Amino acid sequence: MKLYSQASGKRFIKLLLFLIILTPLSGSVFAQQRLSRNYPAGKNVRLELRNISGTITVETWAKDEIRIVADMESRKATFNPRQTESGLVIDIVGDNRGREVGDMNFKIQLPARSSVDLETRSGQISVTNLQGELVRAHIWTSGDITLAGITAARVFATNTIGDIYFDGEFASGGTYEFKSGKGNITLRLPANCGFRLVATAPTKSIKMGPFWHEGMKLMGEGRRIVGDVGDGRSSVTVTDYQGTINFLRR
Amino acid sequence: MNCEKYQELLSDLVDGSVSAADRASVEAHLNGCVACAEIRDDFVAIVAYCQDHRGEYDAVPNERALWLRISNTIEAERSVPRAAVDVPSGASWWFRLMNSSWQLSFPRLASAVVIVAVVASLATMSISGRFGSPSASGPYLGGLGPSTPTASLEDRYRQQQQAIAYWNQRVEMNKARWSQQMRETFDRNMSVIDAAVNDSMTQLRQNPHDAVSEDILNDALNDKVALLKEFSEL
Repeated sequence: MKLYSQASGKRFIKLLLFLIILTPLSGSVFAQQRLSRNYPAGKNVRLELRNISGTITVETWAKDEIRIVADMESRKATFNPRQTESGLVIDIVGDNRGREVGDMNFKIQLPARSSVDLETRSGQISVTNLQGELVRAHIWTSGDITLAGITAARVFATNTIGDIYFDGEFASGGTYEFKSGKGNITLRLPANCGFRLVATAPTKSIKMGPFWHEGMKLMGEGRRIVGDVGDGRSSVTVTDYQGTINFLRR
Repeated sequence: MNCEKYQELLSDLVDGSVSAADRASVEAHLNGCVACAEIRDDFVAIVAYCQDHRGEYDAVPNERALWLRISNTIEAERSVPRAAVDVPSGASWWFRLMNSSWQLSFPRLASAVVIVAVVASLATMSISGRFGSPSASGPYLGGLGPSTPTASLEDRYRQQQQAIAYWNQRVEMNKARWSQQMRETFDRNMSVIDAAVNDSMTQLRQNPHDAVSEDILNDALNDKVALLKEFSEL
């Protein structure tokens, strides 16, 4: 009896080739690592994260806990969160000084009343449904920032290249700053919101949409718009060097 | 100990005159407190700047006498508690300023004195024409700098360029260690900020009183220094 037919021999060679092709890929897959940690947290916890590069995604959940899932491109990367009196500090820059660690992607879940202070040299930042005191998202270079369902009293979103999208409410007496070097800034707000605005775009592309009214002041030939919307009780500063500022009604 | 207590020790820590126990305690705190660590970094930068540029600016005529006057004023303030003054609701800003209470911790006061000395010496250098000389290089702390009536836009721009040159030098030293991707990302982003600086400079040359362009220029230059500073740590 013939043990191997010609067809099964070809199949074997194909399988061998497939495995040879996969070998280097599997190496990189296994070089990555995923770590997850849970920390007890009060309702008003503050999370600080200083990343080098990669995506940061923050979501809320109903537990009094912070859960952090970190996907690290390099096994050399160190991930060492520190608990403080006010919450949790993750300093990837400090922990990995002088090392090339590649992307580190974070998914964070925490109570809705939390504050977050997020910073990365490059990568995306996304924060959803947060109602704490502070939301700060800063990208030193390139990356989009998405802040959705936010009702924090202080919001700061800044990057150099990339879009910024904010969908939320401005608290009375709150401070809100959005700044991009090159990218579009879109603010989606409820119709009844009130704020004092200083919006600056050298491109003169500031689209106030339904929030425009005759009392607003155009400065520098339309490169800046200053004025109150509604009761004007929160302070909103928007600056975009090379993009469009867009106001949308919810 | 809270942050305020730790911040009082920062100046001694930078000078190396803190006890071993305090050093360990402060350093442990700095590992977990970003705000205090940033103040420490500012102190280090100020001290390093002063050491690097010793002799490049004119010293205060009688340094010790100045310091004694300052410390006497502080002591006098401490020994005679100031009575609270009721400020009428319609009072002018001058009245409010004169009747306000100024309480500064030692590190804040020391920083203020150093900053005043640096700014005064830079202004002196600028007036005496030494500013433009090739030997006068080094970081300038702050944004576009003090806006004196006599200082032209170009002068103030040149001052800021000195800070940029300083941090740029540090970035260039580290750049060789960066990956190709990081170098490209940095250069691409820096070009965006440079474009904002150049555009606003062009606008200001056409219209020197354009407040919007001046704000953008100030913002963009501050962004540039901040980005360079951040990447110089890599």
